[in-house]
Amino acid sequence: MALESLPVAATAIPIGVAFGVVLERAGLGDPRVIAGQLTGHDFTVVRVMFGAIVTAMLGLAWGSAAGWIDPARIAIPPTDIGAQALGAVLFGGGFALAALCPGTACVAASSGRRDGLAAVAGMFMGTALTPAVWPAVGGVAAPVPREGARLPDDLGIPLGAVVLLVTVAGVVAAMIARRRESIPAAVPRWWRPRTVEAVALTLAVAFALTDAQPSVSPERLAAIAGEIRREADHVHALELAEWIREGRDGLRVIDVRDGVEAGTYRIPGARIVPLDSIPLLPVARGEDIVLYSDGGAHAAQAWVLLRARGVATARVLEDGLAGWEDEVLSPVPPTTPDDSAQTRFRRARALALWFGGRPRLMPVADTPAPARVAPRPRRRNTC
Amino acid sequence: MTRAPRRWLDPTGAGMALGIVLLASFVVAGRGIGASGAFAAAAGRTLDAVAPAATAADPALADRIPSGVALIDDWIVLQLVGLCLGAAWSAWQAGRLRRGSGNASGARLLRALAGGALMGVGARLAYGCTSGLALSGGALLATGAWIFIPIAFGTAFLVTALARDPALARP
Repeated sequence: MALESLPVAATAIPIGVAFGVVLERAGLGDPRVIAGQLTGHDFTVVRVMFGAIVTAMLGLAWGSAAGWIDPARIAIPPTDIGAQALGAVLFGGGFALAALCPGTACVAASSGRRDGLAAVAGMFMGTALTPAVWPAVGGVAAPVPREGARLPDDLGIPLGAVVLLVTVAGVVAAMIARRRESIPAAVPRWWRPRTVEAVALTLAVAFALTDAQPSVSPERLAAIAGEIRREADHVHALELAEWIREGRDGLRVIDVRDGVEAGTYRIPGARIVPLDSIPLLPVARGEDIVLYSDGGAHAAQAWVLLRARGVATARVLEDGLAGWEDEVLSPVPPTTPDDSAQTRFRRARALALWFGGRPRLMPVADTPAPARVAPRPRRRNTC
Repeated sequence: MTRAPRRWLDPTGAGMALGIVLLASFVVAGRGIGASGAFAAAAGRTLDAVAPAATAADPALADRIPSGVALIDDWIVLQLVGLCLGAAWSAWQAGRLRRGSGNASGARLLRALAGGALMGVGARLAYGCTSGLALSGGALLATGAWIFIPIAFGTAFLVTALARDPALARP
């Protein structure tokens, strides 16, 4: 976009000017208006803020749907829940004392209010002195915040539903607020807030209907792809076997094979969930999900579906049921006398016996057995 | 000079106008509007000069107070300069530009100063304020923004109920 080659000032100053004019004209540079909101007498602040959020959100939603706006190019504030909760408490206390927020303090100062200037000075002091109080408050901050975290992904709700919820909340707040309005505002005769609210609701409902799929942002997909590349999503058959044996808390093994009949072998404790039910599978907090299929391809696909829904604790059984048969049910003694291989085999043999498998007695390479008895080739990286 | 100041915009209209400014910022600058970010840039620059290692101890702190920002070429700083210019022009046009004193007692100034300082710390912890986090992040449906909005406003309502400033009667 040509806009990116413009000098910074070419976009920053006009947008700042417009921001300043709107805040000033809305009355938000006057601490009495903000104090009025905080005492519940005057709902200007809530109406302006919700109005702006809903307008920009709907514009963004429809602009992206129509292809006019590329949402991936817009920087999203990071998420660090602990720090943001404590920060909000401190901020809210300061906001109540000053009856101005940082932006409106600048508006107040610019319109010649001395309390605005004092709030701006305090704001600068507080920011510069943050390192001094950091030992007391910084403990809640995560070393690295979550970038690009958004409600639809985090709640596992479609984007359209979140847009509709926020719009309904904004319109309801505005309807209640309008009954209690008290500041003298200039209202042209043709201006009907009710019409604006009806338009916003219509746009939100229409967006929710057109956007019925869960939203997955490109950044999120890139992060998921990184997990797949690092194989952070895998669990080895022996590890899973140990988890099952020790009755690990929250472990839930899911068999995604199609058309599994009653007598077919399943990993003990596994529940059958066909692939098409995975997107709707209820997952409780703290559950460790392990998915498997015959080779692993369907399990890996189920993993992507869960991960895209925001389920972060799912894993895929390496090499699927084939890997389980090879590694847990019929482990083969190693051909070399190497210590770690021997230890590993003893561990596998114990698990095999526990799971009712049959550990081989001799290394495969030394067995002059007919071809049909030879173990099938180990499958690797099937997902 | 005795002319009554121009009346304020209807809040629904003002909200829509602010939303359009925000949307324009998303589209032309690829980011939302803000305020506390400019304070962070300016404070970071000041710390560079007076206490260069102040934020070095914790990466989470260094991430919140940037070091070595060229203020004259920084988007959020210039946007805040624009905000001040726009607000001053608008207040002058509306007959609300105040000159001289007479609008704030010492107690009021102290409250504003202390409130500003608390907001300074809170905004750094939270990665933003009512503009950059609540408004911009709220419209982008950022999870952190929707944590911040109810807690910040809830606390503000509570503190106001406990310690209301009598100097701020209704306009």
